[in-house]
Amino acid sequence: MLRFITWEVVKMLHLRSVRLGLAAAFVLPIIWTLAPGLKQAYGLVLVSGWQVPSLALLAGMEFLYPFLVAMAAAEVLGAEISMGTLKPLLLRPLSRTRFISAKLVAALAYPFLVLATSLLAALLAGLPHGLGGFFGGTGLGAGGFAGVGFLPAGAAFAEVLRAYFYAGLTLLPIAALSLMFTVWFSSTTAAALGAIATVLLMRLLIVFPALKPLLLTTYLDLYLRPGDWVMGLSLLLIYTVGFGLLAVLLFERKDV
Amino acid sequence: MPNGPDGAPNLVVENVSKRYGRKPVLERVSFKLAPGEVYALAGPNGSGKTTLIRLVTGLAFPTSGRVLMLGENIHEGGYAVRRYLGAVVEAPAAFYPYQSGRANLERLAWLSHVENAAERIRDVLFGLELVAVADQPVGSYSLGQRQRLGLAAAILARPKVLVLDEPTSGLDPDGIQKVHEILREQARAGVSVLLSTHHLREVSAYTDRVGILGGGRLIDEVVMEGASERYRLRVSEPGRALAVLQTLPFVEQAQLKGDVVVARGPVDEMVRALVEDGHRVYEVSADYFDLYEYYRERIKHA
Repeated sequence: MLRFITWEVVKMLHLRSVRLGLAAAFVLPIIWTLAPGLKQAYGLVLVSGWQVPSLALLAGMEFLYPFLVAMAAAEVLGAEISMGTLKPLLLRPLSRTRFISAKLVAALAYPFLVLATSLLAALLAGLPHGLGGFFGGTGLGAGGFAGVGFLPAGAAFAEVLRAYFYAGLTLLPIAALSLMFTVWFSSTTAAALGAIATVLLMRLLIVFPALKPLLLTTYLDLYLRPGDWVMGLSLLLIYTVGFGLLAVLLFERKDV
Repeated sequence: MPNGPDGAPNLVVENVSKRYGRKPVLERVSFKLAPGEVYALAGPNGSGKTTLIRLVTGLAFPTSGRVLMLGENIHEGGYAVRRYLGAVVEAPAAFYPYQSGRANLERLAWLSHVENAAERIRDVLFGLELVAVADQPVGSYSLGQRQRLGLAAAILARPKVLVLDEPTSGLDPDGIQKVHEILREQARAGVSVLLSTHHLREVSAYTDRVGILGGGRLIDEVVMEGASERYRLRVSEPGRALAVLQTLPFVEQAQLKGDVVVARGPVDEMVRALVEDGHRVYEVSADYFDLYEYYRERIKHA
């Protein structure tokens, strides 16, 4: 299974949308550090390179990263359909469950890949501002960008890593949802649009307070709210497993 | 009943129907393929050939009926049943364009658990005359080369049932000849071959049976063996000669085509019977069965 998953990840890295997404994730933090309107938008003057990753995260998690994840997860299967390579694979003595599960794992790996790329670019972009200890905050821990005094480099790095990891987790349900829609619609575009529309719809549903704690969009900024991690991660896990299982079940009896 | 030496057909399609919503695409299609038998599916566009191919290969699921491959249900028996199957279901066959033909086959050989994969891949590439381009990316292949690579992929795992949708589509005459040679070879080796085609004259030389699909139903099945045992008899008083032949028990079929009587049966006995009845027999020649003409007639009257 490991060899199969590796193959799926390698195939995923050949996809145009995946490469474009990684390029966008790399470019975004670099552009952000050069942006003249940072003070107006975030009330921030960069005092440390450790603040750049949080800027990238704040900007990207709003729409760009969920969109990139939805697009790539849809194309993981959609590209096989459009290239015509899905049928030859399913003609082999290969379990459909195993096949789609490997695709799911690849799709779930993508958010972390995007965020790792973004983090790498953010650290590179932050180098001119220095990556040592500083007075202030990363924007991802207590006190926001103002911080609570001196922050050593190691603590800043830990805050950033933790935030990126949780941000990755919050994107997992979107990847699983997008893959499920691809199985359902057999179309990359329809699936990505379906996933994005679902996310946007969930954002609008906050007008129903009773629903709010159950919406996955409530937790897209979980990396900023450590207090909600237990509830948030449990719900995101349920969404991810649920969408993933639906994708597997639909694919098992899907006409291709 | 087309059975192999051990009495078991390699492929059984049993009352297979398929509906999309309320629209029937296939209705109660049944046939069997013995080892070494070649079965061609013919029919106009939209008659259900491709749907039937997808059902037989397990890519699509029937609304009712079942498909057995070497006794195992291809839809319910688990993925392992497909170890007996080789297929090309789309023209041109699809591969990862950024990988070489050899790399694509290596991946498929791994999925099919092919033993001595490198050697087998070399053999099929050689057989399909693809050695020269084997290490080039498939994206640079011509349509014909991709089609031949598709056939190479289909026979890679030494299947017992070979299913091909329009295998000669997009090929030049040499390529078409090559494909026919390989299909004949496979059939001689005991592989059951099911193919869909519009090129009936091309395949009639080695096809054992032809199933004619129309409106989602198998409207006719032509057994090619014996189909050529028809004779054109130019005789005196052809009308009366026809009536005589129609009374003979060993004459399977007799009809008048212009001034010539066309009949199927043992030629010596037919001529003897006509002479004994006082007819003069001017000419006897084989009436080669024209599958394409037959198909056209059959579809017209379906």
